[in-house]
Amino acid sequence: MHLTTKKPAIVAVLLLLLAASATAQDWIRTGTGLGIEKVRLAVPDFVPASAEPQAGELLRTFNDTLWNDLQQAGIFDMVSKSFYPIGSFSAPAAIKLDAWGNPPPNAGMLAFGNLGIGGGRVLVQGWLFDVKNQQSPQVLGKQYSETASQQSARIIAHRFADEIILRLGGGLAGIAESRIYFVSTRSGQKEVWAMDYDGANQQQLTHLRSIALSPHASPDGSRVAFAGIFHGDWNILMYSNDLNRLVSFPTFGGMNLSPAWSGDGTKLALSSSRTGDPEIYTCDASGGNLKRLTAVKGPDVSPVWNPKTGVQIAFVSGRTGLPQIYVMDSDGSNVQRVTDTGYAVSPSWSPNGQFLLFSWIRRYGAGAPGGDDIYIMDVASHQWVQLTHNSGRNDFPSWAPDGRHIVFQSNRSGSEQIWTMLADGSQQRQLTTTGTNSQPNWGSR
Amino acid sequence: MAASADIFEECDGWRGPLAISAALHAALFGSMIFYAAFFAGGSRASWGSSGDGTGGAMRATLVNTIPLPANPQAQPQNVLANESKGLSKSVPKPEEKDTKAIPIPDRNAKTKIKPPKQPPVTPTREKPREVATVSNVVPFGQGGPVSGPYGVFSAAGAKGGFGFNGGGDFGTRFGWYVDAVRRKVSENWMKYEIDPGLSTTRRVYIYFEITRPGAPANIRIEQSSGIPSLDQSALRALQRIDTFGPLPPEYSGNRVSVEFWFDPPVRGQ
Repeated sequence: MHLTTKKPAIVAVLLLLLAASATAQDWIRTGTGLGIEKVRLAVPDFVPASAEPQAGELLRTFNDTLWNDLQQAGIFDMVSKSFYPIGSFSAPAAIKLDAWGNPPPNAGMLAFGNLGIGGGRVLVQGWLFDVKNQQSPQVLGKQYSETASQQSARIIAHRFADEIILRLGGGLAGIAESRIYFVSTRSGQKEVWAMDYDGANQQQLTHLRSIALSPHASPDGSRVAFAGIFHGDWNILMYSNDLNRLVSFPTFGGMNLSPAWSGDGTKLALSSSRTGDPEIYTCDASGGNLKRLTAVKGPDVSPVWNPKTGVQIAFVSGRTGLPQIYVMDSDGSNVQRVTDTGYAVSPSWSPNGQFLLFSWIRRYGAGAPGGDDIYIMDVASHQWVQLTHNSGRNDFPSWAPDGRHIVFQSNRSGSEQIWTMLADGSQQRQLTTTGTNSQPNWGSR
Repeated sequence: MAASADIFEECDGWRGPLAISAALHAALFGSMIFYAAFFAGGSRASWGSSGDGTGGAMRATLVNTIPLPANPQAQPQNVLANESKGLSKSVPKPEEKDTKAIPIPDRNAKTKIKPPKQPPVTPTREKPREVATVSNVVPFGQGGPVSGPYGVFSAAGAKGGFGFNGGGDFGTRFGWYVDAVRRKVSENWMKYEIDPGLSTTRRVYIYFEITRPGAPANIRIEQSSGIPSLDQSALRALQRIDTFGPLPPEYSGNRVSVEFWFDPPVRGQ
């Protein structure tokens, strides 16, 4: 009897929570460009245009990569291949719009084409059709030619996927050609590594044979700043992607950690203990013109710029005890605390300047419930939403250049590995499996 | 002894008329009681009663079980009064003359009156009124949604629409781009910014342009709704957007102009 009278109240509370959760998802999806309404996209396998034996393997690589890129984009509702009409769709003449636009496929858009090999080169023709537009359905028609190799097939698929995402995603470029930088122990020491956004092509960049931490790629992808033990001190080091080697960067004295590029690539923010207490500094991209921004007792570390405005910096400070996230102007003024409790570290500012990501243990202490999870916060309103739940220790989140994806480290699989997810917390997938891999940073290339 | 007359002492007897009056009143009441008892109110129901013995004088039904008509839709324009003369012209009814009627002859007249000669009927064609030849005029009674680059959207109880101008058949050729603009604007329109107490539907028109790189420009309120929170929410939806993506390369123009309108969700809908 008691339960019966309480039932409506319980249901009402659950409905309210559900509504609040849905609203929260909406503001994230709107702000990150993920969108609330997805485009129904059909992508039949590309068709071989030549009888070369190598074409079959390249075609498989191309089709898998293209499908994966579009599925991971977060803005498409991919039409299951079991709904597709039977046939071979290699060119526009083979397309009957009604067969794709009506159920069962009921697609809004259709990407199709062919792949052939000739003269040692792989040639791909791809089209994107708006199947609801009978008069002028073609949205995109592209032709690619590269040296015939598995890597070329992947690159062409990435480029074609990014073209589709740019057109249908409201002007936000795709990330299929972006790279993720991270720290890995698989060579014996902690070194900086890089990989494609989907986990392919993992390669070692540095060979310090000591310790390298917190890599951060410049906005144009030409350089990677990181902290490493070099000549016995913790210094900011610089790796050139163009020269494939370390380039010179001045030493500041003390322990220097967590470098972060500004949005325009002309400045760096870093944490330095050259005066004894770790404080936030900024300097030019060449390391000159060092300026101290904070001067409060307690450690100030992990600065990140607001990439949109370039005049704000978020950082972690222990000035009140446990570390919390703070925001200040880039001249050190107007310091504001944005987290209210717990243990908050590793901020990352979204490309559009609207959101902060960070790792947060909301109830910190021995025996306290909850864990180390990734949270997203609207900077203006301080509304936040938890993105990972009950899945080990999650830390070091970093935004992708498109603002729709997030890379982070998690030990949910037993050891620290690199994971990605959409900015609303969905589509979480593991990218690395060998050794321990941590502190990822998503670069443009 | 002086003669005197005391008229006040002349008193007729009252008893007779009083007795007649009382008898008539008694008869009147008696007839009313008799009528009420035997003729009036065959069902014997009391006023206001439903007659079903439930004792309630009034019955209430929950309003949510009654299919009430929906709130009135927005009427952005007064369809009854406008300056258009329309394409049809009402022709006044011609005055009919009875041609068979013959005038009454005058008795004193010496000459016979001949019936008047009918003037030869020459078919004259009335000069048609000059109508401005405008290509996009909708004939009377054949109105409806604008064809071509036009669309509507709805989200969370709110509705809106848009029209693309410039570039001729831009909306027809590049429907995918129009669709992307619709999605992006509707997703960036935060309904919680609107006064939740709105009880009537008002419409706000926003005008903006999309430049070749895809950035919105010249954003302005073309026609206010009269509700500041609605106007601002619509304006902010556009201001939040950095880019819609570059205009299609096949499009030769430098920019397209777009008109968006927003109908807020109305309380109770």
